[in-house]
Amino acid sequence: MSADTSALRTPANDASVTDRLVLALPKGRILKELRPLLSHAGIIPEPAFDDDKSRLLHFATNIPNLSIIRVRSFDVATFVAFGAAHLGVAGNDVLMEFDYPEIYSPLDLGIGKCHLAVAEPAEMIASDDPTRWSHVRVATKYPEVTKRHFAARGVQAECVKLNGAMELAPTLGLCRLIVDLVSTGSTLKANGLEQVEHIANVSSRLIVNRAAFKTRPEVSQWIDTFREAVNAHQA
Amino acid sequence: MPADALNSALLPAGLHDVLPSEAAHEAVAVERLLAEFAAHGYRRVDPPLVEFEENLLSGAGAAMAKQTFRVMDPHSQRMMAVRADITPQIVRIATTRLLNEARPLRLCYAGPVLRVNGTQLRPERQFTQVGVELIGAVEPEADAEVILLAVQALTAIGVPHLSVDLCVPKMVERICAGLGRPDDEVRQLRAALDRKDVAGVAEVGGPAATLLETLMSASGPADRAMRALTAVELPEEAELDRRRLTAALAVMRAALPDLTVTIDLVEHRGFGYQTGLSFTLFSRDVGEVGQGGRYHAGANKERATGFTLYMDYILPAIPVVPAPARVYVPHGTPWAASGKLRADGWVTVAGLAPVADAAAEAKRLLCGHRLADGVVHPVE
Repeated sequence: MSADTSALRTPANDASVTDRLVLALPKGRILKELRPLLSHAGIIPEPAFDDDKSRLLHFATNIPNLSIIRVRSFDVATFVAFGAAHLGVAGNDVLMEFDYPEIYSPLDLGIGKCHLAVAEPAEMIASDDPTRWSHVRVATKYPEVTKRHFAARGVQAECVKLNGAMELAPTLGLCRLIVDLVSTGSTLKANGLEQVEHIANVSSRLIVNRAAFKTRPEVSQWIDTFREAVNAHQA
Repeated sequence: MPADALNSALLPAGLHDVLPSEAAHEAVAVERLLAEFAAHGYRRVDPPLVEFEENLLSGAGAAMAKQTFRVMDPHSQRMMAVRADITPQIVRIATTRLLNEARPLRLCYAGPVLRVNGTQLRPERQFTQVGVELIGAVEPEADAEVILLAVQALTAIGVPHLSVDLCVPKMVERICAGLGRPDDEVRQLRAALDRKDVAGVAEVGGPAATLLETLMSASGPADRAMRALTAVELPEEAELDRRRLTAALAVMRAALPDLTVTIDLVEHRGFGYQTGLSFTLFSRDVGEVGQGGRYHAGANKERATGFTLYMDYILPAIPVVPAPARVYVPHGTPWAASGKLRADGWVTVAGLAPVADAAAEAKRLLCGHRLADGVVHPVE
């Protein structure tokens, strides 16, 4: 009739809808490292999940009420925070950036290890004295983390939000500093950059929605299952 | 910048018009909740929307200082604040104007609040709070009473799959103080605990971290959590909380054996002024629907507890009470005739001018029925 009834919908009575659990996984590199843990936890996604040509985003698993969505790593946190997904895998870099109160990260999966760092063109380091800074311009995917990091030492950070290829920014004069994930440091080196500060160690965490954690006992069971998988994997 | 004309329908972020059927839905639910509170001896009070800033933001109100709109009162030349939370107002009433009323004092309220910032998860800046305060009661029975009342009232309006999560917001602080941990360490622990970040807690280390890790992993279903809580040795500061929790839980169990109760011993966020046993009410379908807990009321630090329910979270979860059927009453129908219909429970919609096709007119005005020749006919 009209659009004003959005808040009036009655909750789905269909048990198969209210009982389902959604696990949000990040695309790319982490997914490869995650597969052994998934297998150990007894989760087998449908074949389309491993088919790179598949356009599907939502996949069934061998467990009847558990499905998997595959989204960008930053979106994993958003889906879980809003309760659209109940469980997820996200790096603590993403969790630090968003700091959603609705996300719990009860388990360090011990994969996807790297760190967040500040980097600067190697030839500038000698002539630069960071203690004299009052304002810096930084290219980063993590404006919130960056602002907090610099504010803690009394420096105002003006962030230029980029979604990739951060290393280009200093060489082309967009800014002097970048804040980015560093694993081996080879990308920095190849672009004439050098790490000047370490911000935080990063690894992938199993995250859960707060309300789901408190109201759905099976969420705690999944945390235990993944904990066993991590222990077995690291042993 | 594109120079778009401001559309007259545009409202500031986080504010919205509540339209027909939704507005009625909320009003019916609020009335039903208040009726439940009244049936348990809670009497309604209604404080103003705006108060002097220093009164509203003192004591229990201090937690909302950053979320409060201020306006200058041209009349008194003093700063006024628009309420962002009603509880501090109830506390003010109880500890000033109702100072001489017998304790325990049971009060309830319903009304809108306004907040400076919405969050990405809750963009609303104005929403309705409905709640109770039980002031001047120290017994664990008082804690159980308000929790049971919240459950009872939410069940009455049809909130499905309810569960109660018990916590003690100051537990972590008390444990750390009892173990003499430095402030810096407590802050780090607090930040990690808020995210249930086991790795982060372990990183801090020390005796408090070990104990808190145990408590964190014990969080969950009440029986399991209580077993874990009984097994650990707590500093004296936290011991009283454990006793209160045990006693209140026993009363709740006796009253509602089937109620889902979980315990989270390291929960803290969202409890601005609560000091003792506190709780969050969840519906599995929509998440958090309210919270409450024990606090100190007023300058004399009267012991009090209470809860607040958030209507914006509750409404999507509950079934709509069907509105009475609407009947179209054509132009010229005598007042007494339509009055008779209303007395019989119909909603009458009067035609203000004669129309050719009464059935079509009834349909256009969303009436399922129409009155013709003194008889109510259904409209196909």
